[in-house]
Amino acid sequence: MSPLVGVGIGIAGVGIGLGLIGNGALQGMARQPEAIGKLQVQMLIALAFVELMGFLTVFATSGFK
Amino acid sequence: MMNLSSLTTLPLAEEEQFVSFKGWAFYLLIVIVFICVFLGYAKKGYNGRVFTSKVSRLAEQLYLFLENMVLGAIGPHGRKYLPLAAGFWILIFVSNILALLAPMSPTTVLSFNVGLAVASIAYVQYEGIKANGFFGHVTHFAGPKLGLALLPITLMIFVIEIFSELMKNMSLSIRLFANMHGGHAAVESMNSLFFGLSVPGLNLVPLGEFLLPLKILTCVVQALVFTLLTCVYLGLVTSHGHGDEAHAH
Repeated sequence: MSPLVGVGIGIAGVGIGLGLIGNGALQGMARQPEAIGKLQVQMLIALAFVELMGFLTVFATSGFK
Repeated sequence: MMNLSSLTTLPLAEEEQFVSFKGWAFYLLIVIVFICVFLGYAKKGYNGRVFTSKVSRLAEQLYLFLENMVLGAIGPHGRKYLPLAAGFWILIFVSNILALLAPMSPTTVLSFNVGLAVASIAYVQYEGIKANGFFGHVTHFAGPKLGLALLPITLMIFVIEIFSELMKNMSLSIRLFANMHGGHAAVESMNSLFFGLSVPGLNLVPLGEFLLPLKILTCVVQALVFTLLTCVYLGLVTSHGHGDEAHAH
């Protein structure tokens, strides 16, 4: 079995995390539409951090090529 | 006469590959020239009272967007960091847009991004030392004052904070590099899907180009994230009057 299966599992976790962040941000925006600007910025920061985990898995397995 | 395609893949010796700037430096030159021309035109359209040209209005909107972002992330005292943030944002954004068109771009190279991140974090440390004094800035890493009985915990927090400060460099640089480089890799692998159906060695179905909207979105978001995180780190070390407890990480 190829080691890339592990990457797939890791990316699944990253996808779940990104979905949760989007879910929370959308709920907050629906409750308080006047806070959309602030919420979008915070959401993007959180997305970037979770995204980084996925990139770290991919690039750690490929040896930074 | 030197053709441009040889600039990206120069046959370098093994020991030269890590010290050479040949390759992406030419594209960095393109980015810098574009920024200088754009800002020059923007400055030309300002006659002291009003903006007369479209380029100036575009630059004004860009300035307002960056000002809003910086003041929102740092606070009212963050206006003096606006040139830094604007420089980072414009450089990264133009490089990312160039990465859509050119075979290479400064932000698709890990070393360039590491340089940007080290510059950003070093400036954050400098501002922290300037705002709190050297001793105050170092003790800021040790977390809240817990007393002598909990000295091991304080030491542990100190080590973790130093490590996280070093990891900020890695996270900033790898995020930018991986997003840009990953976009290129995804386009190449999607293009290679139709190799079997087309003429051997010639790709007739450029399927990867349908990723372009996603890549443009990535360009904007990554430039925003890098600048915003720099501003957040600056806001953490230069926050006066909030106390350290409010910013215990």
